[in-house]
Amino acid sequence: MVIGPFDLNALEVAVRLKERYGAQVTALTLGSGKAKDALRRALAMGADAAVLVDDGQMAPKEPSVATRALAAAVRKLGGLDLVLCGRQSGEWDFGQVGALLAEELGMPFVPFVPRLEASGDGWRLEREVEGGLLVVDVSGPCVASITNATDNQPRLPKVKDIMMANRKPIQVWGPVELGLGEEDVGEAANRLEVLELFIPEVKSECEFVEGDDGAAKGAALARKLWDRKVI
Amino acid sequence: MHDTPTREVFWNIRPIWLTYVLLAPVLAAFFAGVWNHVRRWRAGKPIQRVDNWRERLRGFFTDAVAQDQIRTGDPGAGMFHILLSWGFVALFIGTTVVFVHYDLHLPIMQGWFYLVFQALILDLFGLGAMVGLLIAAYRRYVARLPRLTHGLARDGFFLGALFAILFTGYMVEGLRIVATQDPWAPWTPVGTAFGRALVALGVDSYEQQLAWHRSLWWFHLAVSYVFIGYIPYSKMRHMFTSPAAVFTRNLGPAGRLEPLDMENSETLGVKTLRDFDWKDLLDLDACTECGRCQAVCPAYAVGKPLNPKMLILDMQRQLSQEIGGLPWQNASGEPQPIIGTSIDPETLWSCTTCNACVEACPVEIEHVAKVVDLRRFQVMEESAFPETAQEAVRGIEDRGHPFRGSQASRRDWYADLPYVRELAGVGQAEYLFWVGCAVAFNERAQKIARAVAQIMHAAGLDFAVLGEEETCTGDPARRIGHEYLYEMHARQNVETLNGYGVKRIVTACPHCFNTLKNEYPDYGGRYEVIHHSQLIRELIDAGRLPLSKTEFERITYHDPCYLGRYNREYDAPRAVVDALGTNRVEMNRSRRRGFCCGAGGGRYWMDDNPGQRINVERAREAAATGADAVCTACPFCMLMMEDGLNTVAAEQGRDPVPTRDVAELVAAALEEQQAGDQRAAG
Repeated sequence: MVIGPFDLNALEVAVRLKERYGAQVTALTLGSGKAKDALRRALAMGADAAVLVDDGQMAPKEPSVATRALAAAVRKLGGLDLVLCGRQSGEWDFGQVGALLAEELGMPFVPFVPRLEASGDGWRLEREVEGGLLVVDVSGPCVASITNATDNQPRLPKVKDIMMANRKPIQVWGPVELGLGEEDVGEAANRLEVLELFIPEVKSECEFVEGDDGAAKGAALARKLWDRKVI
Repeated sequence: MHDTPTREVFWNIRPIWLTYVLLAPVLAAFFAGVWNHVRRWRAGKPIQRVDNWRERLRGFFTDAVAQDQIRTGDPGAGMFHILLSWGFVALFIGTTVVFVHYDLHLPIMQGWFYLVFQALILDLFGLGAMVGLLIAAYRRYVARLPRLTHGLARDGFFLGALFAILFTGYMVEGLRIVATQDPWAPWTPVGTAFGRALVALGVDSYEQQLAWHRSLWWFHLAVSYVFIGYIPYSKMRHMFTSPAAVFTRNLGPAGRLEPLDMENSETLGVKTLRDFDWKDLLDLDACTECGRCQAVCPAYAVGKPLNPKMLILDMQRQLSQEIGGLPWQNASGEPQPIIGTSIDPETLWSCTTCNACVEACPVEIEHVAKVVDLRRFQVMEESAFPETAQEAVRGIEDRGHPFRGSQASRRDWYADLPYVRELAGVGQAEYLFWVGCAVAFNERAQKIARAVAQIMHAAGLDFAVLGEEETCTGDPARRIGHEYLYEMHARQNVETLNGYGVKRIVTACPHCFNTLKNEYPDYGGRYEVIHHSQLIRELIDAGRLPLSKTEFERITYHDPCYLGRYNREYDAPRAVVDALGTNRVEMNRSRRRGFCCGAGGGRYWMDDNPGQRINVERAREAAATGADAVCTACPFCMLMMEDGLNTVAAEQGRDPVPTRDVAELVAAALEEQQAGDQRAAG
């Protein structure tokens, strides 16, 4: 099991903040025992601790349910200055966890953040917006969803760190440890239903443009593109 | 008094004791230098290289005594070196005979032995050595061989000193002969000729001859002594270190890298010289600077910052600075990281691991293993390696194959081939077809997979594939230096293969072939591994593949390094090409001298500077044969050659020469034959 691409960016941002300011980074995920592989990767990349919220007794079919479990874990960890997540997951691409998490935790939320730094008693975050960047200041803890940028590409962990990560403990919390009941994370809590998921069929064809010389070929190509309303 | 043939030792020389007094510091300097080097090698880690004496002695005799490898590909070098080395070995034996005769008072230097060996044979061997020196000088200063441009001035000193020793030796001998009117003179024709020449030049009185003899004798002694004392401190040490490296050569498969004990290694890979094993350090001192590695290196040929000779010599220099060299260079130098101190990172990443340097080296220096050792440290401890190579590593980590962008699955190529079955479905099969990532994922290379499957099906073989259970063999990760990732994949694959009880594996990728065959035994994976060209040749020989002629008139075959040089399979693919009724033409550099396509050692995934593309250089060579198709037996070679040939065609403004895997040629000929049969039947 691997970490989702944007979550890797989030992890990289967290580790860079730790290297810059000094901090404790905890990697948190929701999943089955297999997700421990992903947490080991996070530890190898520089996280100090790892927590798996075991969904064996839960039915997190939709982001709000999954987020409720994650929020409970964040509260249990306590005393956090910053919560980072990828802007969307690697499988369903819902892109809701960040916002819902902020809602659950009662914290401000800043989406699409490529980078941030400490500022006053809070944070100064850059947010990607159409055609530019929006810089926002937040006082106190907040939740940010991280988007990819050239300066937050996930590092390749050193093998020594990978081997050390294999020896670090991973905490596992279930609904009991988190004080969650059936109504919070059970089957009944799901209200969203995915009707269909499919990979759109992509057909590629290769066609050679005929013509006696370059100009004729160019004209023929332009006609074809015109016919298909490309130009 | 002339009854017993011999000569008077120290005839005209007084005081004799002075020769011994002068010898003492010479021997002290010599042995101090030798000890210095032994100490250097002892700084390395242990490795077993003195087992299997039979095989080692055999190699020693062919390559150090008979010097087969020096002659190979360069008769001039072989001639000069045999003459010079054997000349001086004979002369050294002659000096030993004098020592036994005079100092040990065992009168052996007399009678027929004196006449035949000590007089005649040494006379001729000395002449041979002079001829050898002239050839060596000619190669350096007249012919100016490009690979011999390093240290020309210093080489001149050695050649001059050795020539002076021989020349004055003959003068001294000749003067003794004419002065004493030696009755055995005909047994030393060269010395006698020198003596007569000196007389003819005016040294004709007895007193003159005595005086000339005496001063030349001391000069001869002085030059010889200085040379002997200087041997361990110069490249002339190779007269000892090279035979030692030849004796302790790697006897294992050329394609097998030494595994790394991850759990118990303090350092993963090689950071400082002390992380190498002693054979590696001996290699650094064994270099003769002959430059054969430089002459065959594809990276060097296209102007990349890698010269295998300088790789060795730069590390040798660092070794001298850190672990002793000359006595006044103290060994107190702190061990420094090799990369950044004597080797540039770019140099390290330029290597394609094609093994041409190792193959060309006459003294068994193992360059490629050192490159991988250095890469291991850069990758696993520093995470400092090219971004493009990191992408490949991430691909293997995340998806089990190095093609990160690919949307394809391992099943795509046989989605419409019902006779390709998966081992999970059939349980077992006589042959496992190990497809390989390049063949499975690259759209162009998938045609190789289909061709191989088609051929095996046509021959009625019972075969299966692993499908999604196959994962990268780890070869790219290993050659990039990520031993950890390689090992994980090796263990996983061995588990899968052993789980099915697989015995025979056919693969279309020489990299998979090499790793499965030579490297998986280290992890308990022992299989009969067959390259598809070998299988096809067997099937053709057995008459199981009815083939028509190929459409191509003239085909040139490009040797993949991991099939050819690493595994010595040059003939099977050529036999298959020949069976297709075409003219096979060879490129200048083929078989063991084959020139890499540029893809090995993880280079396939790394960027090349324009103008420094190895595949273009190779494609030029292929196009120059006038062939109308280039045949390969490796998916990486095929992709690289295709790309290179496109570039060359664009430069020359004509259609590119097509590239085909040997299996594709056979599959096409098979189809053609089947279609012909059907026409005949219909």
